[in-house]
Amino acid sequence: MIDFTVKIGGEAGFGIMTTGLFLGKIATRSGYHAFEYSEYPSLIRGGHNVIEVRISDEEVHSQGQGVDLLLCLNKETADLHGHEVREGGVIVFDNEKTDESKLMKPDRNIHYVHIPFSRILRENSLPMVMLNNIALGVLMHLIGADMEILNTLIAETFARKGEEIITKNREAATLGMNEAKKNFKIDILHKLEKKSVISPKLYITGNEVIGLGAIRAGCQFYCAYPMTPSSAILHYLASKAEKAGIVVKHAEDEISVINMALGASWAGARSMVATSGGGFALMVEAVSLSGMTETPIVIVMGQRPGPATGMPTWTEQGDLHFVIRSGHGEFPKIVLAPGDVGEAYKLTVEAFNLADRYQTPVLIMADKYLQEGHQSVEKFEIQSRFDRDRIDRGKLLSQEELLKITSYKRYLITDDGISSRALPGMKQSLHQANSYEHGEDGHTTEDAGERVKQVDKRNRKEATYLSNDFRLPEVFGAKEPPLTVVSWGSMKGPILQAMKESGGSFNYVHFSRLWPLDFGKLKEFLGRFGKFLLIENNSTGQLGQLLTMATGIEFPQKLLKYSGRPVYPHEIMVKIKELL
Amino acid sequence: MNGQTATAKINSAFLGYFPTWCPGCGNFGIWSSLKTAFNKLQLEPDKMAVIFGIGCSGNMNDFLWANSFHALHGRAIPTAVGVKIANHKLPVIVIAGDGDTYGEGGNHLLHAARGNHDITVIVHDNRVYGLTTGQVAPTASKGAKSKSTPQGLIEVPVNPLALALTQGATFVAQGFSQDLVHLTDLIMSGINHRGFSLINVFQPCVTFNPANGYAFYRERVYKLAGDYDRSNLRLALDKSLELEDKIPIGIVYKTERPVYTDFLNQLKEKALVEEDITNRDLNKFIAEFI
Ligand SMILES: Cc1ncc(C[n+]2csc(CCOP(=O)(O)OP(=O)(O)O)c2C)c(N)n1
Ligand code: SF4
Repeated sequence: MIDFTVKIGGEAGFGIMTTGLFLGKIATRSGYHAFEYSEYPSLIRGGHNVIEVRISDEEVHSQGQGVDLLLCLNKETADLHGHEVREGGVIVFDNEKTDESKLMKPDRNIHYVHIPFSRILRENSLPMVMLNNIALGVLMHLIGADMEILNTLIAETFARKGEEIITKNREAATLGMNEAKKNFKIDILHKLEKKSVISPKLYITGNEVIGLGAIRAGCQFYCAYPMTPSSAILHYLASKAEKAGIVVKHAEDEISVINMALGASWAGARSMVATSGGGFALMVEAVSLSGMTETPIVIVMGQRPGPATGMPTWTEQGDLHFVIRSGHGEFPKIVLAPGDVGEAYKLTVEAFNLADRYQTPVLIMADKYLQEGHQSVEKFEIQSRFDRDRIDRGKLLSQEELLKITSYKRYLITDDGISSRALPGMKQSLHQANSYEHGEDGHTTEDAGERVKQVDKRNRKEATYLSNDFRLPEVFGAKEPPLTVVSWGSMKGPILQAMKESGGSFNYVHFSRLWPLDFGKLKEFLGRFGKFLLIENNSTGQLGQLLTMATGIEFPQKLLKYSGRPVYPHEIMVKIKELL
Repeated sequence: MNGQTATAKINSAFLGYFPTWCPGCGNFGIWSSLKTAFNKLQLEPDKMAVIFGIGCSGNMNDFLWANSFHALHGRAIPTAVGVKIANHKLPVIVIAGDGDTYGEGGNHLLHAARGNHDITVIVHDNRVYGLTTGQVAPTASKGAKSKSTPQGLIEVPVNPLALALTQGATFVAQGFSQDLVHLTDLIMSGINHRGFSLINVFQPCVTFNPANGYAFYRERVYKLAGDYDRSNLRLALDKSLELEDKIPIGIVYKTERPVYTDFLNQLKEKALVEEDITNRDLNKFIAEFI
């Protein structure tokens, strides 16, 4: 079985991320699964970047412990990550950059391969941007992959730049390949043979797949202010805006972002915004406005370690309570948290439908770990979904329906709490969306009776959601194991990976719908399990607190990680061993 | 039909509840001019969007019956920009206070002007926060005494016209709420103007700012002369500096520049909300991820 990890490190600006992306695509195009994890500081140049690609012929849900092939394009990579290389692994280094005598550990069974990257660049008068091609060439030899796949990728990437550029990039890769052949005598590390039957896969990040979901869901207005880890949604949708028929606006601040989106949504455009904790803090007043005016909106909340500016390029799940409780006053909101790219696609499409159906804010909680890393997912899995995806705009009236209503009331009291929506511009649509408390026709009111009726009406949407759209968490794994792991969102990956590697000594309750929760159903559901282990990427066990509040069930056993790094499968396995 | 009944009839098209403003408040004049302007322009209440800020000014939402969004304090402009992008066929008008527009939401004014979003922003300039019962607004004079500045305001006032002019607004005007006919014309010109329009309207707050009442403005405002060159930005900037002794009213600046939505090819054929979104083909988007 093939399951190995390549780690590439170098200075920011060396094209490390592109090298990792190409490697992942080469793996998926050869018929394998791949999972990417990157670490980089919040700097543009000079900082130390690393990217890990785990390649396997079985589905792979997370990064793993240990590295099989470490490619050092700077000294720090060797210094900081040399010890991660497993016995029998390979370290590729450039002796102009790395102190060979310090790097080599005679007591370890590691192959040290010297590739003179700097000299190759110099002797061939190649610019720095060619470094990643040379590195890819080296990798292609060491993992025994098909050079043709790399050549095709280069051609696709530089198609618009012309034949000459394509040839130059390919030549650089060949230089790397030949050098590796010369210096690495024991044949190859792994044979990434192209499989005879290849089911096509997408190799895609959470951010990109949320963008795809938004396109499919008919998002018409996307508004954002850049903030890691959500900026790439803005970049992706901006690059597709015209083709998709979306207007993408980079507004002056997050306050403007969400108010513009609400204006657009009120006028009838499906609207989405994305940000991280700091930007979301600025949006919160308008989250409440969405609740009060009953204007649909989808908000992607990409978490990173806080408080304040925190650690911008690292990962955490520290904002669950903040998001669930966001917005002053009482109003329903829906909070979703996908666990992997497949789920992120599905829940993004669903978020738009829920926002229209319940006319209230719908939040998608993600994090740097899910949003920025590439994961392979069967093309079929996404494609079969989007063929079935339906656009449900809830009680949005057509012009014909509106004309049949004698005296239209925007905030009509209804049993399910949802009133029909007309759009400005429609004939007989006269109404107002009001941030003040209002009566059925939208006029401001301070009347006690009308106030209570409108609060009750809005709150009834929650009951409607609980009866129509609430889903219990998904359970993965064995039926009656001695231990049940409980977690949410992106921790699904490391947990499923640990489950696979430990041979199923536990099962996993995965929360991807975090609010509203049906307390009664949940209590009964959780009551079926025995011993729990709560795993969260935060320091206070926020999901655990929420579940205790909802059900009275306590979670004394916890694995909490808040170093800015995701939980690793081996950490889960160690903890589980301790408990069993 | 004599003139009076005709006015009464057309004004009723936009008539909401009777205003709760203090008797004598300058808001009545703006309200009246707005309704007259809407009627003269033959706007239809359900085929337009009025975005209100929060303040005594914003409370007009209940007195002016048109499709409207009563937004958050300071955020009427971004809300309006969103509406306009989603449906650029709708006339979009913002009614907001000076605290709304130059204080809480000051940033939005600059950026909406830069973008030349085709909205008309009408600011009720009373140099005070009316609804919160009398603190200084950003337009208050240096030294102004108020509930929040009992010793007198330390800051100098913002200069709304200069701000809008230097940030790219293509229509900048100033009016006085007591001069209804003149104000009605300004509002009509602002709505007819294709691009970002700011109309700063002097609106006496008789309750919390008697120092800047009707007499104060009557003694100082003068109408820009018929031969005033409103296309000259430098001249307009000069006029914008006349803040205290002699204060110009009228169209201070007007120029043509393509509006924000003109640059969006997605909107060439239809308004965004008119597009069919039910069947977008993802196949053409997924190839790059394989
Ligand atoms: C975020 C926020 N801060 C404060 C307030 C309270 N508030 C309501 S209106 C207002 C100021 C109103 O002044 P202005 O905008 O000049 O309008 P006016 O009442 O004078 O017409 C304030 C501070 C609010 N509603 N929202
Ligand atoms: S407080 Fe001032 S602005 Fe408000 S209604 Fe009274 S007079 Fe008008």
